[in-house]
Amino acid sequence: MDLAPEHAIIAKGVVKTFRKKGRRKYGIGPKITPDELIYAVNGVDLTVRRGELFGLLGPNGAGKTTLVKCLSTLLLPNKGTAIISGHDIINDPIAARECIGITTGGERTLYWKLSGRDNLRYFAALYGLSSEEADRRISYLMKIMGLEDRQYERIEKYSTGMRQKVSISRALIHDPPVLLLDEPTLGLDPSFSRFIRSFIKKDLNQKQKKTIILTTHYMDEADQLCDRIAIMNEGKIVAVDTPEVLKRRIPQDEVLEVRCLGHADFSGIGQRVYADSVEGVTIYRIHAENVEDIMSQVIQAAHSAKILSMNVTKPTLEDVFIHLTGARLTGEDNEQ
Amino acid sequence: MDLFPSTSRILRYLRGMNAENVKEWKIELTYRADFIRGMLEPLIFVFPFVLFAMSLMGGRTSSVLEGLTGVSDGITYTIIGYIFMGFLNTAVWGMGFALRKEQWYGTLESIFVAPVPRWVYVLGMALHSTVHQGIILFFQILVVYVLFGVILNVQGVLPVLVFIALMLISLVGLGLMVSGLALIFKEGWIVSEVLYSLITIVTPIAYPLAVLPPLLQKISLTMPTTYAITGIRHFLIDENMGVGLLDSYSRLIIIGVCWIITGLLIFQIVDRKVRREGTLAEY
Ligand SMILES: Nc1ncnc2c1ncn2[C@@H]1O[C@H](COP(=O)(O)OP(=O)(O)O)[C@@H](O)[C@H]1O
Ligand SMILES: [Mg+2]
Repeated sequence: MDLAPEHAIIAKGVVKTFRKKGRRKYGIGPKITPDELIYAVNGVDLTVRRGELFGLLGPNGAGKTTLVKCLSTLLLPNKGTAIISGHDIINDPIAARECIGITTGGERTLYWKLSGRDNLRYFAALYGLSSEEADRRISYLMKIMGLEDRQYERIEKYSTGMRQKVSISRALIHDPPVLLLDEPTLGLDPSFSRFIRSFIKKDLNQKQKKTIILTTHYMDEADQLCDRIAIMNEGKIVAVDTPEVLKRRIPQDEVLEVRCLGHADFSGIGQRVYADSVEGVTIYRIHAENVEDIMSQVIQAAHSAKILSMNVTKPTLEDVFIHLTGARLTGEDNEQ
Repeated sequence: MDLFPSTSRILRYLRGMNAENVKEWKIELTYRADFIRGMLEPLIFVFPFVLFAMSLMGGRTSSVLEGLTGVSDGITYTIIGYIFMGFLNTAVWGMGFALRKEQWYGTLESIFVAPVPRWVYVLGMALHSTVHQGIILFFQILVVYVLFGVILNVQGVLPVLVFIALMLISLVGLGLMVSGLALIFKEGWIVSEVLYSLITIVTPIAYPLAVLPPLLQKISLTMPTTYAITGIRHFLIDENMGVGLLDSYSRLIIIGVCWIITGLLIFQIVDRKVRREGTLAEY
């Protein structure tokens, strides 16, 4: 049955397309041409080892959620399939679902009129737990999540972070070997984010040896948590490796990070320049073998743009992402 | 489709159905005012029917009705027909909206990743709505007994329960059809409304089959509610049955099986369509 016991998740050539909005509402109308399709997932191959914490990193719209939904049998791929803990998601979706715990984004995925405990009791029954088993499991989960005091209150009275803790508890209710966590820290306060990240890494991955796919668009989160990262862009995986090896793909050792008010033209300085802007401040990351050599050039080229700060840093996964996908390249045509 | 599930899976499906039923009660009881309204409304709806019948007949009894059905008491005739049709409500609104409601809550994807087939939720909802309707029915009988002095043959209860159970087979089929369609049509309530009206028109609730135009009479004979309502009235107030008892039971079973199969087919088609097009999370 289990052909590759060391692999908990194997995806083979997964393609998932959607129709652009407003087309052929009730399945009638002219035939759909390929350019009217969105290739949300465009031929993804993936293997995740047992016990691995695997990151799917990519910007909004990269196709992370769609891929996770395909793996969890919520969506039917147009092409390809996946094997989860030895079960084919297309031939035996029920067996695959038995092995998966999943958190999909959004706060509305729980019953707001029911208490945290009642929510978990309901899902426990769907996963086949007897009521004694469910009680034991729920008490344990509520305890490690620090929700014991609030477990009899309705979800509508919970904060976003508490709801996310209940969602994660629900994913764990049947103690599945595989977890699919879609943006688990999205929109959370820093203290909740910190708790959830450390829970995923220390408890779920290191102690309980769960196989985890975690999607995120936070570069730091992927960097800190994941054993391996797949960088995803426009439905494709453009690179898979450990964070260290990925960062080494950028040949330079040093990055000069320059924060400016307004725009400056740093093209031609150093090896390459990446720009991004946050709340009116433009951040240039200039890669060079030795940043000291380029300092004076940078100050000259800044002209009218007011330099707020300069920092010497190491390449980050963000630089790797830009390097691989070509998105947001150089000062002028920075897409913000 | 998983045609021969293992015993552990079947056990899980049954647990799932029960959990769905319990969850529905819990949610329903949090909306207390709505819950009480839901219980009282059907009682109030009885009166226009009754008064309409009385005004037409110029009183409570009608010899014409007696000639057609063997029952002269038009009030009792209509009321029994009306209150037992309440189960149709549960199919088109309760079961039919089981999944649509999850879509409104935002919980549809959460339940669809659980390792039970989708029809488990509809059957769980069927369990809930049947019990719910049973309670309403009990109060309705109590009220009409007090207000109109309607007396029923108590010894007829057992065959009546069989009629209800057999009618429920078809209604579960109907519930599956509607719940599937309600997932893909934004205006799913129109489907419910249309089916509800069509079925109530051809079912002999307040009038006997004989007054329907010939075409509608033929359609009426394909409806489970026709056999169930006539059979129920036969045992409770001695209406003449046009069709024999065993014949009625077997026709109910045949129609039930057909409706269940149709329901499962529509449900399966819609489920695939929805998983292909990814419209699950929308509402
Ligand atoms: N149900 C849907 N219908 C149409 N387009 C969709 C649907 N779901 C996702 N998409 C599109 O597919 C692409 C990938 O989306 P998604 O998987 O949500 O990306 P991510 O999770 O990485 O942000 C986006 O362009 C998105 O608009
Ligand atoms: Mg997403």
